[in-house]
Amino acid sequence: MVTVYTTSVCPYCHMAKEYLEKNDIKFKEVNVEEDEAAAREMIQKSHQMGVPVLDINNTIIVGFDKAGIDKALGL
Amino acid sequence: MYELIIIGGGPAGVAAGVYAARKKINTLFLTKDFGGQSLVSAGIKNWIGVKDISGFELAKNLEGHLRDQEDIEIKDNVFVSKIEKQGEVISVFTDKGDKFETKTILLTAGSRHKRLNVPGEDKYDGKGVFYCSTCDAPLMKNKTTAVVGGGNSGFEAAMDLLPYANKIYILEYTEECKADSVTCDKVRASGKSQEITMAEVKEIFGDEFVKGIRYQNRKTGEMKELSVEGVFVEIGFQPNSESVKDLIDLDKYGRIIIDQKTQKTSSEGIWAAGDVTDVLYNQNNIAAGDAIKAVLNIYDYLKIK
Repeated sequence: MVTVYTTSVCPYCHMAKEYLEKNDIKFKEVNVEEDEAAAREMIQKSHQMGVPVLDINNTIIVGFDKAGIDKALGL
Repeated sequence: MYELIIIGGGPAGVAAGVYAARKKINTLFLTKDFGGQSLVSAGIKNWIGVKDISGFELAKNLEGHLRDQEDIEIKDNVFVSKIEKQGEVISVFTDKGDKFETKTILLTAGSRHKRLNVPGEDKYDGKGVFYCSTCDAPLMKNKTTAVVGGGNSGFEAAMDLLPYANKIYILEYTEECKADSVTCDKVRASGKSQEITMAEVKEIFGDEFVKGIRYQNRKTGEMKELSVEGVFVEIGFQPNSESVKDLIDLDKYGRIIIDQKTQKTSSEGIWAAGDVTDVLYNQNNIAAGDAIKAVLNIYDYLKIK
């Protein structure tokens, strides 16, 4: 399962989502700006507060790191 | 061998790419991504012809405009590590291990966020130290924050923080903040901001996350502490000129010295435009215009070669 933690105007979040869409990867988006529990969950998982954070089958990727995403997804 | 390689996908590079394609110059376009520094802007209100556009949309438009050109080869997700010159052949090396040869180069690689280089900055990167206020300001809901830098980018970061943070300290190194009055007025009117001038940041501290910032008053020498949970670093930009540092003349800030009329650098066959150069004003519109100037000059140069 893939979860993307985002904020509304963050360009790297948009880029990460578009990248997943382009590769036909289904994902759940969680906006941590609106959902404080989700913000805590993201911080707990990634040990930091910057967005985007991607949880790809329990592999945590901070930032729009294409190489990291490719590796986690086996692209 | 290419006639031209353009390096960098900000407004300068894309403007150059569109012109080069329309002039049918045999061009290779190399970039990591599109949009340049404005990518992280929430709203750009001075890109001429468009009233208001987000950095992300601007990046999309730039990329779309470039990809719409028929006569240009584009490789993105590529970082240029080194440029070498032998006689009239210029070689461009990438992080992917590729080497491309060309007659001319237009370097529009822009600049990147300058770091503070103080203890705690690396340790708390993402843990309270941030470089993208558009991205990370929403995480600062009801928190006390500091912005380091009282220039335009500093005050824009403060603007991004206004809807979320309950207090924003703005630490400025010099005697006064130098942001545009429109932005300053808005930030000041919020009542949430407090400007501290003559402040030199010495340390960012905390436990797992940032708890505070230590700075010295440059006038009195006094050390002071602020309790903050977020530090947004906006102290200016550093030119991405490393790939050519042994090849062409740079000024003391590492910016490429150019001939203002033609955008030529000190090395024949290499031109530069935008924020990687010693241009006086760092603006999207100016970067685009300067890059076009460069391509037209390159076109003339290739014709007589």
